[in-house]
Amino acid sequence: MSQEKFWVLLSKKLSGEAGAEELKQLESLILAHPEWQYAIQNLEDLWKNSLQKDSLQEEDAFMLHLHRMTELNIPFEDEPAEIPAIPVSKARKKRWYWAAAAAIVIVAAGNLFVFGKSLWNHDKSAESLAGKEVNEISTRPGSKSKIQLPDGSIVMLNSGSKLIYNKDYGIDNREVTLVGEGFFDVKKNKEKPFIINTANINIKVLGTVFNVKAYPEDKKTETSLIRGSIEVTIKNRPNDKIILSPSEKLVVENGLVPDKKVRQKNDGELVAAPAGLNTLIAINKLKYSPVDSSVAETLWIENKLVFRDESFEELAMRMQRWYDVSISITDEKLAEKRLTGIFERETIEQALEALKISIPFHYEKNGSKIIIHQ
Amino acid sequence: MESLDLPLLTSMLENDQIKRLLNAIALNNDQAAYKELFLLLHSRLKQFAYSILKSGEEAEELVSDLFIRIWEKRNQLTAIESPLLYFYATAKNLAFNRISKLKRQQTLAPEEWLVQLNSIYFDPEQLMMTEEMMRQIRQAVNDLPPRCRIIFKLVKEDGLKYREVAELLQLSVKTVEAQMAIALRRIGKGMHLDIKTATQTQQTPKNS
Repeated sequence: MSQEKFWVLLSKKLSGEAGAEELKQLESLILAHPEWQYAIQNLEDLWKNSLQKDSLQEEDAFMLHLHRMTELNIPFEDEPAEIPAIPVSKARKKRWYWAAAAAIVIVAAGNLFVFGKSLWNHDKSAESLAGKEVNEISTRPGSKSKIQLPDGSIVMLNSGSKLIYNKDYGIDNREVTLVGEGFFDVKKNKEKPFIINTANINIKVLGTVFNVKAYPEDKKTETSLIRGSIEVTIKNRPNDKIILSPSEKLVVENGLVPDKKVRQKNDGELVAAPAGLNTLIAINKLKYSPVDSSVAETLWIENKLVFRDESFEELAMRMQRWYDVSISITDEKLAEKRLTGIFERETIEQALEALKISIPFHYEKNGSKIIIHQ
Repeated sequence: MESLDLPLLTSMLENDQIKRLLNAIALNNDQAAYKELFLLLHSRLKQFAYSILKSGEEAEELVSDLFIRIWEKRNQLTAIESPLLYFYATAKNLAFNRISKLKRQQTLAPEEWLVQLNSIYFDPEQLMMTEEMMRQIRQAVNDLPPRCRIIFKLVKEDGLKYREVAELLQLSVKTVEAQMAIALRRIGKGMHLDIKTATQTQQTPKNS
């Protein structure tokens, strides 16, 4: 074995070019020379270690590039973006292409559910949903359900949710309406895009697997994207499309807010809507758990009620659905307390006892009614 | 297109990832995919262009030109076989075009390229090395001969396969292999990995 051969083999291994036979050769060579171990380990570490890209600088470069395209009169967007840093485009004829990359979408839709009054400009879909015969599947609080749609797509429906689709689903459209929360595994179909209508936003899915959550009583509509790509339209801004990148979470305040003050704690970028349409929109990064890289937003599928830095008020709302109880918090300060944790097999009593450890409170339980006070 | 049917959870190879993005741009006019592709490749392509053009501004413009081309010819994107190589080869052609316009010079041999290596990055927390050793390694990297440097950069930092580097620089795969071995040996020397004494051979290393 010449030393040239050793270096050829080692560099091929590091570059991922070495075949099985070469790896074996190299390994036996290294085994025979334990004194090389240290330096080889260092070389391997050095190879893997690389300077992180400055993503802000990259974003800037992209903005400059788009600017240059505009100056050179190269059509990229039909109209200038209204929301900075989010690619926004007008509806255009598209051939929908279903990439196999999984998209996980969670939507918590809120407040008023205006059924059949969709502003979604996708031809006859709205009227077909309102006028034709529909299938409606709902789950009671405290229970979950698994549904197979006519095209083989699967929907897991969380507690207290409703999924509506018309009888000819899959024939000339694939459109559903969701109230509550669901996890979708959608079959690939280039010709028929999969569309979800909720009270405040519409989502077009550019991937195949996604998770949707939509509850009428919540204050905000949330769309979280784990992988792939989705397109969101907010109903009172029908001309804008927001394309989410993986690991982004879009939060839309439901209904009209009286002022532009942000009420909830928000550590992400906040973009206010143009004057006249004071819908608050924010795009945040999803937070992955360092332990198992899970995202709190999707853990309900595994029967876990996960909350990370949520107000007691928000958590109580979720616990009502989860345990099929009603909870009222009489003390405003208590309602604003922020909590982090996971409930898995706990009963409602055990869950309340656990919460009492982090924020002291008293409660009275009368059947399924729970009153929480100082 | 078969790359699209890969198991979802396995980490996609970069070429597959680029193919997926190109397909989304080609078939969907997918602007998000376009942006993702730009963010993925911009800084590497810029550095590659810089090595030939030796001007940051020119390199930036070249990458922008390249991506304009991608957008304008998006309906042809699905036919690209080796996407990463396609980007580098196009960048190289655009750079040579610029040079020939400016200096009436047709091409530039890799020996004349100004290659900046930026991934020899030390994290003292992770690497068990002495200051002196790091200095020696830096020195070794800085002293790599030009051709060796560009090959090392394209493989290690830009993620090109030997075959792709060979095609891009019009060399044989064997040459790429040999140059990579030279780079590694020089860096290894900085770590006191001296195979000559270790293997007890008296042979002097051949460098060419």
